[in-house]
Amino acid sequence: MSDPKPEGSAAPPSKEEENPKKEEEAPVHTIADDSDDEEAALGPAISVHVKTPQTTKTVSVKEKASVNQFRQLVAREFQEPVEKLCLIFGGKIMKDHETLATHAIANDRTVHLVIKSGASSQGSNNNTGANASSQQTPTNPSASPFGLGGMGGIPGMSNLGMGSANFMEMQQRMQREMMGNPEMMRQLLDSPLTQSLMSNPEIMRSLMQSNPQMQQLMERNPEITHMLSNPDILRQTMEIARNPAMLQELMRNQDRAMSNLESIPGGQSALQRMYRDIQEPMLNAAQDHLGSNPFQALSGNSRGPGASTTGENATPMPNPWGGNSGGGSSNQAGTNTSGSNNSGTGSGTTPDLTGGSLFASPGMRSLMQQMTENPQLMQNMMNAPYTRSLMDTLSQNPDMAANIMSSNPLFAGNPALQRLQTTAPEVYTSMGMPAIAPGLFLGGQQQPSTTTTATTASPTTTNTTSPSPSSAPASTGNASGSNPNVGGSPAAGEAFSQLMNQMVSNMANQGLNNPPEQRFQSQLDQLASMGFVDRQANIQALIATFGDVNAAIDRLLNSRQPGQPS
Amino acid sequence: MADESSMGSTSQAALLLKKQLAELNKNPVEGFSAGLIDDNDIFKWEVLIIGPADTLYEGGFFKCHLIFPKEYPLRPPKLKVITDIWHPNIDSKGDVCISILHEPGDDRWGYEKASERWLPVHTVETILVSVISMLADPNDESPANVDAAKEWRDNYPEFKKKVAKCVRKSQEDLL
Repeated sequence: MSDPKPEGSAAPPSKEEENPKKEEEAPVHTIADDSDDEEAALGPAISVHVKTPQTTKTVSVKEKASVNQFRQLVAREFQEPVEKLCLIFGGKIMKDHETLATHAIANDRTVHLVIKSGASSQGSNNNTGANASSQQTPTNPSASPFGLGGMGGIPGMSNLGMGSANFMEMQQRMQREMMGNPEMMRQLLDSPLTQSLMSNPEIMRSLMQSNPQMQQLMERNPEITHMLSNPDILRQTMEIARNPAMLQELMRNQDRAMSNLESIPGGQSALQRMYRDIQEPMLNAAQDHLGSNPFQALSGNSRGPGASTTGENATPMPNPWGGNSGGGSSNQAGTNTSGSNNSGTGSGTTPDLTGGSLFASPGMRSLMQQMTENPQLMQNMMNAPYTRSLMDTLSQNPDMAANIMSSNPLFAGNPALQRLQTTAPEVYTSMGMPAIAPGLFLGGQQQPSTTTTATTASPTTTNTTSPSPSSAPASTGNASGSNPNVGGSPAAGEAFSQLMNQMVSNMANQGLNNPPEQRFQSQLDQLASMGFVDRQANIQALIATFGDVNAAIDRLLNSRQPGQPS
Repeated sequence: MADESSMGSTSQAALLLKKQLAELNKNPVEGFSAGLIDDNDIFKWEVLIIGPADTLYEGGFFKCHLIFPKEYPLRPPKLKVITDIWHPNIDSKGDVCISILHEPGDDRWGYEKASERWLPVHTVETILVSVISMLADPNDESPANVDAAKEWRDNYPEFKKKVAKCVRKSQEDLL
């Protein structure tokens, strides 16, 4: 603006060091950028005031400098790391690739500066910079093995009321480390040292409690303490952590599925509805069925210590889908692995059991594998009473499923799904509907558990109490189903595909694949006759309310009067 | 904005707003930063509210649009929060419910005094200072988001969690 030769350019940097913390109004510091000489092209220097809640400082910067350069100057002035600074001008956040000119920042303008707290800057960096993960893995994973086990292994933990920012960041960091180096992680976890550590719950616990972060966490959240003091959970967590592919799937899919669902218009309400309509009854059924302690088989028949934990994990969480499948899955994995360890029922059962834990992960791929390898399991699932009720609910609400299916990239973009589609389109159709899918997951989790208890029951029958005092109707449905499973009856496969066919044709009858205009034709007509002339809005509303005219009307009316008295 | 200059009152509004914008650029007020959505339209402002320190919203960046009527300052602007935010006095569409933004005159329902409603003396600054203080201190007598208000009263931990989520999301969206 004024003089091409800035008055401050001669000032040595040491000058400003003399009173860096001066807090009076607008202490004018001018900084000479070291590289100024070759940057004469950037135009004359201007003074820009930088305002934080506490103080205002003035920075001299070239008129045409980039925001990045400006940020460096500000960072030096405020003695804060560059990445913690957030500069705001004219209602916009200034981004590095822009220039001061982009924001029309002239001489004597004031820019807001927000200095982020360390933790939150970490978190946002993780989320925004996808490639940041590769550069930011200086920490050796071995430095925090227990942390990894504790955090990464239990994705459901975030749903146990642990969704605090701190915890998320920790988890993210852990996750990032893991993803960066799964091989190392596996080696680490497979090493005899870790193994022996793992088998000693006391050591594990003291290890965890010695970490200040964990301590804080435990103090704030007694549930966590509870979980961590349960040796079974710890061990099972480590088991999961040992299988990096599974862990990765668990974490990635849960997050993505949820955010995808949420971003669909009306997805939030769909989730809520799905939760109410399907998940809860299903969970109740599951609870009845799994009422016994899944750790029983493991902990040698006593039904004491672990019981309460089971109760906690099975309780419906605020997070409708992820929570239950996540929590359930960790539980199940524990049962499975421990079951196979303790009962020692040879390799015959092992594939089934591993299958179960894979199944428990939200990963579509593993589900697929399971389905192709073990159709009987599917059949059992389909026969189970809770699956039936799920189907009924679903067939009453087909639009919901279709809606989610069509707009969810997770399902559309999965190569494994596509592969399956060519071989068995009807399976795909059912898979594509998350409303069913969780049913499959839950079903899948329970199925192997019946098998587990069935197989482990015999060695442990010395304990006269049945290891699974599950409710009669639920278990009979499954037990009868699992008999052919053990026998490996080929007829079961046929029955399964029959069932699938039936299901698909059922859905086709519901006009699931039609575009919304056709599906909601009658409702649309009804709305039009009531004077709702905006067809597009009507369709939107009907999609969001799954074809419920009354709800759609409410919705339309609400959106028409944005300024409700408040 | 072809008709802008032809109308006397409009140009008065435009002048007033231009003056405010220049002043805010020069001497910004703590807690928010204001600019225009489109540099050619002085009636449409874009405001970034910086989540006030020591509140649940600390660290968040909440983008708002402030749309002035041609009759400004006789009639109030409309304020809409664009960033998702969970707050008892901001409804799901982002409309902010504060009494000073309500059309002037006596309240139909009689619970707001005329003096609490829009007055021509209000400026962008006074409006946003009100909004920021509302962030820090929700008014549960006139909830715009009933669910949030209920949660704020009855299930504060959950409320906190939801707010923390939008704060995180606001950072991700803008940075």
